Amino acid sequence: MGAFRRARASLFERGSGFLLAQTAFVYLFLYLPIAVLITLSFNDSRYAVVWQGFTTKWYTALLQGETVARVDPNAAWNALLNSVEIAAATVVISCVFGTMLAFALDRYDFPGKRLFTGVVFMPIIIPSIVMGISLLLFFNIVGIQLGIGTAIIGHVAFGISFVAVVVAARLQTFDQTMEEAAMDLGANELETFRFVTLPMIKPGILAGALLAFAMSFDDFVVTFFIIGQENTLPIFFFGMVRQGISPGVNVVAALIIVVTMALVAVAQWFQGPTW
Amino acid sequence: MGRDTNNRASGVDAQLVQRVRRNQWTGAIVNLAPSAFWLGVFFLAPLAVMFFFSFGERGAFGEVLLATENLGFQQYRRFFVPGEASMLGALWATVAWLIDTVIPGTQTLSSTQPTPYVRLLFKSIGYGILATVVSFVVGYPMAYYIGHIAPEEYQNLLVVLVILPFWASFLVRIYAIQLLLSANSVLMSAFAVLPFVEQGVSLMNSQFAVLLGLVYIWIPFMILPVYSSIEEIDFTLQEAAMDLGADRFEAFYYVIFPQSKPGVMAGSILVFIPSAGAYVIPELLGGTDSQMIGNFIASQFGSAGHWPFGAAGAFVLMGIMLLSIAAYQRGGGELA
Repeated sequence: MGAFRRARASLFERGSGFLLAQTAFVYLFLYLPIAVLITLSFNDSRYAVVWQGFTTKWYTALLQGETVARVDPNAAWNALLNSVEIAAATVVISCVFGTMLAFALDRYDFPGKRLFTGVVFMPIIIPSIVMGISLLLFFNIVGIQLGIGTAIIGHVAFGISFVAVVVAARLQTFDQTMEEAAMDLGANELETFRFVTLPMIKPGILAGALLAFAMSFDDFVVTFFIIGQENTLPIFFFGMVRQGISPGVNVVAALIIVVTMALVAVAQWFQGPTW
Repeated sequence: MGRDTNNRASGVDAQLVQRVRRNQWTGAIVNLAPSAFWLGVFFLAPLAVMFFFSFGERGAFGEVLLATENLGFQQYRRFFVPGEASMLGALWATVAWLIDTVIPGTQTLSSTQPTPYVRLLFKSIGYGILATVVSFVVGYPMAYYIGHIAPEEYQNLLVVLVILPFWASFLVRIYAIQLLLSANSVLMSAFAVLPFVEQGVSLMNSQFAVLLGLVYIWIPFMILPVYSSIEEIDFTLQEAAMDLGADRFEAFYYVIFPQSKPGVMAGSILVFIPSAGAYVIPELLGGTDSQMIGNFIASQFGSAGHWPFGAAGAFVLMGIMLLSIAAYQRGGGELA
């Protein structure tokens, strides 16, 4: 028993070296696939997996609008524009409604509040496939034509929840006496909100907006069921991946991941670590 | 309502406006209304429609029959009850099959097999549990390192490096895994150096690929909450425990680990729920043996064309989610 205890304890004495190695391993695990993907997008081979030498010809071809191995850059560009349009609309609506919701949940007690809070959390945790299909059934029954509009409606339904949860977390540390002071000094509700409350909770709303944008921009499953014939970038990409690995897909994938990670890195730089 | 408007308005109106402004419910209603409307109409109503569908029947041409005489629990029955077995028989078949599967050996406790759907359901739960356990085993030491051992000035950088992939495109990262696991890729060629691995082997379309994909995508959800609870721990307690005679292991096991438990619980639920309900990952990385309940639901609404059955499957999945959240809250309640 004594020997076992000593062995166990000495294992823990030398633990930090092990932890460092383990941590390095997980970072490798997280970034190796991305690094390989980016490398292979410069691969001079029709069969995209085996390295044959460096080339930028796939990039050049795609940027000049030529189709590379079934990947049509114009379709990709259209899909991207749709994605941005949907995400932008989602962010605006979700931020306004979600912030109001966060206030209501933070400031007021009302009958059924626990249940309602549960409902607010549900779009975040419900499997996307259930959400997507239920919306599809609903739009079918009500007779709403599927398209960009229905995609926005669906995205707002989960965007509101993400924004509300993030903003509500910030509101918990909010000092309400500041608002009272403003009101005592003669500001009305709107002025108080505009000049006192909003500047203080702005980081929360920005974080919520970032999250809502990312969730909308990246969403595949919900969108897939409710967008009808239109494309978004993830749906376009899914269609390409279904057809197999090819240089064209590698380039599109590398561009998506480099651009999104760069944007997120910039956002994190200004915001501090946000998740 | 600005103050100027009040001044200009007539006495009665101003009084009314004042009363509305002072009323304790005004703020709540105004702030709640838009979201309540949106969530009610575009989230709860669709779920209600789907729930209703799950009691319906499929017509001869794949249409959904929802007349009163068609309504019933038949889809749920078809999901859970094999053949002509009774409820109790189905329950026993399921339990017996679970015991047979989990405990190695070749015992056969029940002659009836549970339905393929029940087996699929438990397989999905199994994937969820496996992904959670692997994420915990791999992620906890890392979160501990970032939260406690890493130099203060690098902490934020290390955290951001965990967050970055989580924000980056989900599908692209799945594709990256495909690139690594398919035949003759860098990784597979490296493995081929090993004596027992053949050249040109692919790990794609396997159960392993699905599990790897699940862990790859969801592990940040384990690391981040664990990190934030470890970061808050007062590590002088560890010294106190060791001054009182505990060795390093005991100090960790009895003092530090219990304090990081809220993070572990949160991380587990955040990994388990999307893993068990996964659809895209088994679709892109899995083969015929590694499909999950999410794929079953999708196929019922797609190629199989049996909407009521798919709706019932969706609500079984929802039930699993709610159960796991209830379990989480129970555990969380004890910790608080």
